[in-house]
Amino acid sequence: MAERGFSVRSLPGFGTTAIVTFLALYAPIVTLVVYSFNAGPTISSWEGVSLRWYADAWQNRAVQDAAIRSLVLATLASAIATSVATLAALGTTRTGRFRGRTLIYTLINQPLMVPEIVTAVALLIFFAMIKVATGYQGLGYLVLAHAAFCVPFAYLPIRARLEGMDLTLETAAADLYASPYATFRHVTLPLLAPGIGAGAMLAFVISLDDVVITEFVKSAGQETLPTYMLGQMRRAISPEVNAISTALLVLTILLLTAFFLLNRKRG
Amino acid sequence: MKILAGLLASTLLATGAQAAGELNIFNWGNYTNPELIKKFEAAHGVKVTVTDYDSNTTALTKIEAGGHGFDIVVPSANYMPIFVEKGLLLEARPDQMENFKNVDPRWVEVSWDSGRRYSVPWQWGTTGIAVNTTAYAGDPNTSAIFMDPPPELEGKVNVIPEMSDVMALAIMYMGGKPCTEDRELLRKVRDQLVAAKPKWQSMDYGMTEKLSSSDTMASVNWNGSTMRARLNNPNVVYGYPKEGYPVWMDSAAILADAKNVENAKLFLNFIMDPENAAMISDFAKYSNGILGSEAFMPDEMKNAPEIVVPAAAAGQGVFLPTCPSSANDLYTAIWTDLQK
Repeated sequence: MAERGFSVRSLPGFGTTAIVTFLALYAPIVTLVVYSFNAGPTISSWEGVSLRWYADAWQNRAVQDAAIRSLVLATLASAIATSVATLAALGTTRTGRFRGRTLIYTLINQPLMVPEIVTAVALLIFFAMIKVATGYQGLGYLVLAHAAFCVPFAYLPIRARLEGMDLTLETAAADLYASPYATFRHVTLPLLAPGIGAGAMLAFVISLDDVVITEFVKSAGQETLPTYMLGQMRRAISPEVNAISTALLVLTILLLTAFFLLNRKRG
Repeated sequence: MKILAGLLASTLLATGAQAAGELNIFNWGNYTNPELIKKFEAAHGVKVTVTDYDSNTTALTKIEAGGHGFDIVVPSANYMPIFVEKGLLLEARPDQMENFKNVDPRWVEVSWDSGRRYSVPWQWGTTGIAVNTTAYAGDPNTSAIFMDPPPELEGKVNVIPEMSDVMALAIMYMGGKPCTEDRELLRKVRDQLVAAKPKWQSMDYGMTEKLSSSDTMASVNWNGSTMRARLNNPNVVYGYPKEGYPVWMDSAAILADAKNVENAKLFLNFIMDPENAAMISDFAKYSNGILGSEAFMPDEMKNAPEIVVPAAAAGQGVFLPTCPSSANDLYTAIWTDLQK
């Protein structure tokens, strides 16, 4: 069927457009990665290959602290966001149509529509009141804030998976007297797992990336990798920032690859 | 998993219970020498946490919201009056502290904190003109280098795209004062800028590299960046426009709702010690306003003409006030014309 149908590849200019698009997407990143290996102290004049900036970043206490904090934060936030998103996805797909379902979709996806700076300022003011009232300054605020804006990123792939799943399997389980919980535990959940994995991973990466909300919500000493890097910008930027970015990039690519391989095996 | 749980517990439990012996500094990123912090911690047995911000506005917004937990902030001169007016700073009277005698008298009677009742100098610098002497042997101490480029420099001049600095230089070159709203004068400023622009090479940042490599022969530029360029390329000189040039300063102050006021006071006194002030400069590469600190600075900075303002040029430096928004609107309009 497909070979007889319309193929975008046969359109004139497809190749050129694809090449230009990939160049625009990846050329800046390649430049960033290349200069992370610069032996010199600048990000624009090349002085030979060296790993000194990786060593510098690795030994930099501030970078270590920020990296650990970023990972802890992303782990907690994506765990919370994925659990909430899974429940929300089940609630919005495994029920009959009900009034206000579109409204619920919109509400769940609110962080995708509201400009980040608006959320950031709102959280700043709201959390400031709680901070004054309770005196608690810990990481909890960042965890909650990150979990909140990660929900839609976890929700969308999970919902897509649920909607694409074969309902007859669940119906069959019910016919064979499986309790609703057993159906969920032994049929729905295993089939849904790739969707949950995808959602969790997206949420993790989104939390790892966030600058604006983190900058506004962070309390004393709560630097994450992105806010640390932002702080370096006022003075001449050194390739250390490139090295950190490259490390982040590699981590993201590893996560994506691991997930892809995992998913392919399950078929 | 266990390690992670341990980390979680330790990060989550590090709450706001401010034990005696803590100090939270809120400062520009990449601006605080870690060695200075270590020295202060060792000297006073205080645990110091430094948190970064990237702009005066971010710092102001977070502090105004309250509940931030910071003790010390380092705003720029033009933001200091806003902090004071809003009652965000503690009148800590650094002028009565032991080390205050080291503050250069020039930085005591300042417009944003007269007599230094709130703040102590952290770092200051200037915006001037960098010139490569192999391309142009004339006097670099004038804004004419970019407002009316000499023939030798045509097509080789850069202007950093920093509106407030460039507009101030241009207005002073045409005989006005920063923040002026004199339409007649501003029209002349615009015409002069628009006429000069075809003779420019670019409007870019990153001049440390381009001046070093002689890709750009002259530029409106900051003093610290020009010094770094000169260390790579001895032909680069820094000019202080005789028509007037902008001066900036960031000062450290204690917040009105600071939890560790005594430690914060110790810190303000600590950074007014010449040896400690020199540590700040060594890291951030700008001057600090503390007399006698030169002796402790690295040799490359001690006598740098970009850092030590020559006596002849000292009088022409102008602190940029916070301009009223009506003036800023006019400048933005001119700036937009210039970008066309």
